[in-house]
Amino acid sequence: MAYKPQYGPGSTVVAENRRKYMNPGYKLETVRDVTDEDIVLVMGHRAPGSAYPTAHPPLAEQGEPDCPIRKLVAPTEGAKAGDRVRYIQFADSMYNAPSQPYLRSYLEAYRFRGVDPGTLSGRQIVECRERDLEKYAKELVNTELFDPALVGIRGATVHGHSLRLDEDGMMFDMLQRCVLDKKDGVVKYVKNQIGEALDREVKAGKPMDEKWLKAHTTIYHSVVGTAFRDDAEAVEYIQRIHALRTKYGFMPKE
Amino acid sequence: MTDAIYPQVRVAPVRLLNPETVEQLLNRLAANPGIRRILLKGQSIPVTVPYGPARGAPNPHSRRQTINVLGEEVQLNTHVGTIDMELESADVLPSIRAACEEVFTKFSFSILEGRFMKTQPTVSDYAKYGPNADEILLGLVDPKSRKGPVILQGYR
Repeated sequence: MAYKPQYGPGSTVVAENRRKYMNPGYKLETVRDVTDEDIVLVMGHRAPGSAYPTAHPPLAEQGEPDCPIRKLVAPTEGAKAGDRVRYIQFADSMYNAPSQPYLRSYLEAYRFRGVDPGTLSGRQIVECRERDLEKYAKELVNTELFDPALVGIRGATVHGHSLRLDEDGMMFDMLQRCVLDKKDGVVKYVKNQIGEALDREVKAGKPMDEKWLKAHTTIYHSVVGTAFRDDAEAVEYIQRIHALRTKYGFMPKE
Repeated sequence: MTDAIYPQVRVAPVRLLNPETVEQLLNRLAANPGIRRILLKGQSIPVTVPYGPARGAPNPHSRRQTINVLGEEVQLNTHVGTIDMELESADVLPSIRAACEEVFTKFSFSILEGRFMKTQPTVSDYAKYGPNADEILLGLVDPKSRKGPVILQGYR
């Protein structure tokens, strides 16, 4: 019988969402339309429309050594062209944001090729070749993995994940890279991910409503969402792992 | 040091506050003669980008504003999240609660009683204010800051 990954334990909507997002067979729902040019502007690595700077000559030109692994693994478009490695980093609010750092790394490893995800407590960075990154970043921003108010594209000064929300429902951002336009209710990026002012505003869409967030979140939260302790299956699994790890620390002889 | 007989309270709303909301609340609170000291706490909002490749670039931020409290200009350097107060007596608590209920209409808040302000000078305080520091100033501003507290005069 072929191996079928289970992705994670749990019987609540949070656990179900985690499994869905990690599963590359599940098509992520597209909920907004941020253009390629807008993504490039917010990331701030190159001017939109400019050529991709390269770190090395294209693979076809540089003469690859005779290597069985290179024959097995097809290079990504960015690697083939010799692009630089660049990054996008997200901060996710614990108030029912659709994604959270650990999940992001898992889902990127399952869904994307040639990526180097890095998880930190309140933020997650993913690095890869520039043109691949733009493709992946578009998917991360335009689908249900993103919410303009509760997820921030932040390269530096990322604090906000564990803080109370602003009065208008936005996650705290020391650099206020995006603002909620009260007139049309759309979140607009006014700075790129490292905090440099943009020449024009980039629209990231309207913040999702509370009901949608609660149905799409992957974070347990006992006050505003689904409590971890309400998920008996997940608790049982964590307790089992904890017990096994603790016992293993004592090197039991059975 | 701060005399232990003065009760202290902390107002903790469930949202971080806009400058306009802080202004409304402070104008209600500061007019109350039963409040000795008010300390605004929150996440710092720097004037320039503090780190990263854009370090040193200006950081325009709508939450960093100057508000007007009983005629005095108060520069907000933080996105205010909690408001600590030292009271003459616990009798003013109902009026604080009433002011909060009047201002926080869209979200809830809690009022905690306890010890929230500095009671002894730290080494930094000693370096800044010396051995005979005015105890009422302790803990009101960062001793490394060049700015002092805002003193609302004529309301006592």
